[in-house]
Amino acid sequence: MAPEAILSHLHRADGSATYTHNGYCVIGAVNGPIEVQRRDEMPEEATVEVNVRPAVGVGSPKERHLETLLHNTLRSIILTRSIPRTLVQITLQVRSLPEEEISTGVNTTLTLLPHILHTALLALLSASIPLSTVLTSTLIAIPSAPNARPATPLVSPTAPELLRAKPIRSVHVFAFAGDGRMLLNESDGVFSFEEWDEAAEAAEEVCCKEEGGVGLGEGVDVDGKEGTNLEIWLREVVKRKVELEQRWKSAR
Amino acid sequence: MATSLTVVLPGDEILQDALPTPTGKKKTLTLGPGLRHIPPNTIATTIAGALATDNRKNAAWIEFNSGRYIPTTGDLVIATVQGSAGESFNCLLSPNTPPAALPHLAFEGATRKTRPQFPPNTLVYARIVSAGKDSAPELTCVEPSTGKGDGLGQVKGGMGFKISLGMARRMLAGSKGGITLPEMLGQKVGFEITVGRNGILHVDGGSVKATLAIGRALQEIDEQALGEKAQKKLAEGVLKSL
Amino acid sequence: MPREAEISVNERAFIQEALKEQIRLDGRAFDAFRVLELTFGDEYGVADVQLGKTRVIARISVDVTAPLPERKFDGIFQIVTEFSPMASPAFEVGRPTDAEVILSRILEKAIRRSNALDTESLCIIAGLKCFALRADVHIIDHDGGLIDASCIAVMAALQHFRRPDVLVEGEKATVLGLREREPIPLSILHQPLCVTFSYFEEGEIFLVDANLAEEQVRKGQVIVTLNRHGEVCQIAKYGGATVDPLALLNCTNIALQNVKTISSYIQSRLEEDAKRRDAGGLMAELSAENPR
Repeated sequence: MAPEAILSHLHRADGSATYTHNGYCVIGAVNGPIEVQRRDEMPEEATVEVNVRPAVGVGSPKERHLETLLHNTLRSIILTRSIPRTLVQITLQVRSLPEEEISTGVNTTLTLLPHILHTALLALLSASIPLSTVLTSTLIAIPSAPNARPATPLVSPTAPELLRAKPIRSVHVFAFAGDGRMLLNESDGVFSFEEWDEAAEAAEEVCCKEEGGVGLGEGVDVDGKEGTNLEIWLREVVKRKVELEQRWKSAR
Repeated sequence: MATSLTVVLPGDEILQDALPTPTGKKKTLTLGPGLRHIPPNTIATTIAGALATDNRKNAAWIEFNSGRYIPTTGDLVIATVQGSAGESFNCLLSPNTPPAALPHLAFEGATRKTRPQFPPNTLVYARIVSAGKDSAPELTCVEPSTGKGDGLGQVKGGMGFKISLGMARRMLAGSKGGITLPEMLGQKVGFEITVGRNGILHVDGGSVKATLAIGRALQEIDEQALGEKAQKKLAEGVLKSL
Repeated sequence: MPREAEISVNERAFIQEALKEQIRLDGRAFDAFRVLELTFGDEYGVADVQLGKTRVIARISVDVTAPLPERKFDGIFQIVTEFSPMASPAFEVGRPTDAEVILSRILEKAIRRSNALDTESLCIIAGLKCFALRADVHIIDHDGGLIDASCIAVMAALQHFRRPDVLVEGEKATVLGLREREPIPLSILHQPLCVTFSYFEEGEIFLVDANLAEEQVRKGQVIVTLNRHGEVCQIAKYGGATVDPLALLNCTNIALQNVKTISSYIQSRLEEDAKRRDAGGLMAELSAENPR
């Protein structure tokens, strides 16, 4: 299933997005470029501030970890040098998580990461912050194989799918830039280099637009789900946004 | 104006055949908002929107209508005076941004002895003389060519309404923008509207009722992207309510 | 420190002028709320409230802990409000603004101290185990009226929430998962709701459910909390405007009308949601709830 996204729906924030996929729902808001506090000001670059807020409770080390990962990834795609001495403030509020999440036995930071990355990107697009490129991200899970044969990696699995495939030996999150460069990789668990390679390849197929690429959902679960390539999905979302903005031209 | 929409994402390369073919005298290509030049000869986008080109001016830009106002030289804005510092007023163009400077002497007929006094949170209609990423924006309330106020200066009375940046651009673009409501209303009632590129619309209709009716009608056109026919209907409704 | 941008003198004068002519910016009557929309998620205990352009999400979560030593027979109930820059860049993480302090104080008084939730029902084994209930209030979009919207969200979420059932054998308590046993609704004793009155012109004009622009112009506010039976839970007054005691009485009457309408709206939304969940009509059989 392709993720669902609503853009620019909040009134106060400069850019906003609500992103729903596989039982995860995240609301993102971006303010910027705004005035930066003196102590955070950088003479030649914009300061990027990321706030991740959990659905329940106040931030814990898990949120701080996510913030660091996001900060580093987003800073590499925001054209910070074109808006120096300003602040780009990104707030991500987790609205809901799938019910089964805690019982999957998988690192929950990693299962959340692709969703939160997509939300942040959509909110940045909505705020029209200058970016050098876009990003797409996905989760790959490698279940432990019952026999000697290597297990097939699960591409962007849902929480129930992870539960069924338990125990999972390793999970990997990949994020790719629009031109196919790898922006981020976080892996957790026990895996060989071959397995990682295979996971990276599977992720690249889903994330990047390529002729004859395999869509999301295919190969994992072939019960008539429409496969979606994430880059095509992203273009579709932006097209809807642009059409909405330009509809006055055709209005009567 | 492009007939079909070319939707672009940040990082997309604009190929040579999508760029404008210069028909005018100007040979150098002008890049507008949302485009950047990566040497030696790549043109890439930085924001999501629709590609627009103008062959006569040999210019290309990205049309978008979301995000915060970015000060641009030459724009007319409605600024809020925050306070006075030294030789100029500190003005806000949008909330939580670094202040823009409006010199005390940048008013029609202002001298050292007759400089204007504004209490905090006064609205002024001003033009941006300089803006860039390396300096705070500077405003003026006199037209540099004539030395006259030409409508710039303090905005008195009336009410400010928030509109989208795209709406502000459309209202300032004249007939191309497709906003016909003010003209239709103007045939029957008298009112004054001031449009700031920073997404502020100021309306003074003489009475509270008229001001609100006009301001809200314009906001409705913005939010629902009303066309000419719908605007006519809206105008009739507004006139009836007055 | 970032601050909320102040309203311009023109707008301030205009709003005051309009109020003298009995006109509000959005055309509402003085005692009318904005359009209220309440939606529930797939999970229990998540209420998404939209009041005009203001949006608040309340989420109830539960945990098992030891009760406080001085309150052995009570469970724990906590309301957490933290503003984030999502609602306004003027909100900083970790630095509460006055509005944030007032909001959490009012919710504390209105919901917790008025015993809206029967905390004794959260006790599992006296002195040893109890449920710790937590209401997280997330402000998503800020256009004034945060107190009223947050209170609606928390109360709706509490009524929507289902806690897991427990099996107690002597000193041993087993929490049964959502799949094992149908979870149990909370025991809610009454449903307090807040109505904020904003005062203008030295207490002569007051508005219900002011939006952000009106809040910036007001002289003071009076927050009345009551339930639909007309029982006043708390009254708080902030700001300098002088308010006539008789006008305060009038406030509670107006508040009651609004509380009744909102209560019945929450009720109808809860029923719609229950119907949606109860697709097969099996809920009654699954329920482990004892009739009182």
